[in-house]
Amino acid sequence: MAFIDARGLPDASPIEADLIIVGGGMAGITLARELAGGALKVAVLESGDREIDMNVQALYAGSATMRAPGNPERTMDAYPIQSRIRALGGSGNVWGGKCAPLDPADFAARDWAPHSGWPMSRRDLQPFYDRACDLLEIPRFAETAPTSADPALRPLELDPADGFFSAPRAYSRYSGGADKAAFDRFRTAFAQAPNVTVYLNANVVRIGLAADGSRVEQLEVARLDGKRHVARARTFVLAVGGIENARLLLASDDVRPAGVGNDHDLVGRFFQAHMTYSVDGDEESEGTAVHVSRAAPMDLYAPKARTAPYSVLAAGEKAQSRLKAGNFTLTLFRGQETGAGAPAKAETQTLARLATRVDGQGGSAGDGQLLGCFAMTEHFPNPDSRVVLDREHHDALGMPRVRLDWTYGAADWDGFERAAAGLGDALGAAGQGRLCWPVRREQLLAIASASRHHMGTTRMDADPRRGVVDPDLKVHGVDNLYVAGSSVFPTSGIANPTLTILALAMRLADHLKSGAVR
Amino acid sequence: MSALPARRDLLAALVALAAAPAIAAGTPPGDALEGLDPAAAERIGRAWLAANPSANTASLARRLFPDGRSALQRLRRAAAADFRRGAVFVHRGWRLSDTEGALFGLIALKA
Repeated sequence: MAFIDARGLPDASPIEADLIIVGGGMAGITLARELAGGALKVAVLESGDREIDMNVQALYAGSATMRAPGNPERTMDAYPIQSRIRALGGSGNVWGGKCAPLDPADFAARDWAPHSGWPMSRRDLQPFYDRACDLLEIPRFAETAPTSADPALRPLELDPADGFFSAPRAYSRYSGGADKAAFDRFRTAFAQAPNVTVYLNANVVRIGLAADGSRVEQLEVARLDGKRHVARARTFVLAVGGIENARLLLASDDVRPAGVGNDHDLVGRFFQAHMTYSVDGDEESEGTAVHVSRAAPMDLYAPKARTAPYSVLAAGEKAQSRLKAGNFTLTLFRGQETGAGAPAKAETQTLARLATRVDGQGGSAGDGQLLGCFAMTEHFPNPDSRVVLDREHHDALGMPRVRLDWTYGAADWDGFERAAAGLGDALGAAGQGRLCWPVRREQLLAIASASRHHMGTTRMDADPRRGVVDPDLKVHGVDNLYVAGSSVFPTSGIANPTLTILALAMRLADHLKSGAVR
Repeated sequence: MSALPARRDLLAALVALAAAPAIAAGTPPGDALEGLDPAAAERIGRAWLAANPSANTASLARRLFPDGRSALQRLRRAAAADFRRGAVFVHRGWRLSDTEGALFGLIALKA
């Protein structure tokens, strides 16, 4: 089939398929690609068009506030619009292409991390990670990072007992931010399959349940020109993103007053996201930085080319357990003028030289090297961090807008500080370098840079009291409704979620192809 | 307890931390430490001393250089042990071992 602009359809004309995928972002496209050429008749309903339309984008408008103990609240009302793209390809249009799998520890139930634990392991997901890497044309991520004979690509020699390791990252060209032409093929070519139709400018505004609430009967589709349609299928998949999946489930409250899949008040809760933390140098300090004592170039961590594969320093399960912290990474980047004042800079040079000598790596090898850095820390699952509906305000299609209460608890930053200190101590104990972390807890929200990674709002768990979807990604209590995307992540780890979104979409495709569409 | 090392031995031990080529060239101790900006080292040392007001030249010398010149390996081990037990000195955000802080303290006292 191909693409159909829904604006050209007669008013109230039906849309029918075996399987309807709501959302043409990275999750929906990957799922459709996997099903292309198969026996199922598939329809993808995408709200936007090929290019960003601000009238469509405005459907995302809402409000957002970040909260954390001891920090002033941070209002981010532009975030619901600016952190997402409502067009074919979704946020893949602005994705930089960075790929990383979640670490084995991210899947584990950790007793110091409330609500942690996936109903699958990294090993279980590895075959799907491999397929996702193949699709994105990047090297597969082994569970153990390969070693290199090139000194510049050798990892820092940290003591394994400390539990920190070098976690690899790679870049795919199939992203709007990397190679627009390649990404355009990625988001469109699958629609040539005879069993796939992509409807553009088709906004799903309500999930219509059967009277007993056990099945989805139809979707209500709205257009900005005022026309409406009904979409029917045997099975439905929501794939509209970590905020919008929750919004659509909550707003579909005519049969079940709390919304679809929300019998246990979980939809929208446990919102998690990634933030990066760093400060520039000033009169008082060097800013966030690492002095590395070795002379060999640090290309493994800070390559010359921006999109070359690289590694970050990460806290494995052993470090997390020891420090009672979540996942934590430190990303290094090549030295540049940090803005440190003259006394601070002179003291940096002096203490770095002494540290290099104490580490036994001075002398003819030089005085080591200074790298900038930023940290990321896992946002622990928190039921008070949530997406809710703002029933006072509606979008142009009549849907309630979202309000995002993005909330951290004391445990998040207790662990963060212990992890940063723990990595600094591991570097020093191993004679590899020293960490500069001049960040005060009360400034963390203010200095944080928010990602576009929205996770956790329809979390996965075999127990319907603990999860919105089951391990097959089917909504508990609804026979024919699935959810794809990062909203199903029980925990967020640190990795850019796109690769895991693709891996889970491929896993879901296998499930749907195995007879689940009834 | 070892005898208090002479000022010459202390400086020689500090030289051992400096660049090997400088030592090989017989550079005088003061010059061999040229990489350590004296004013900056003193400021770091004063900051450490502020947090350790009971420290003095004799106590630091006994702690850091009980064996005079053969100090480097011991300092390295002491620094690693400090990091393992959380005995750290944080200066302008830099996380140093307490042993390194004490070294700067000694330099400041010797200045």
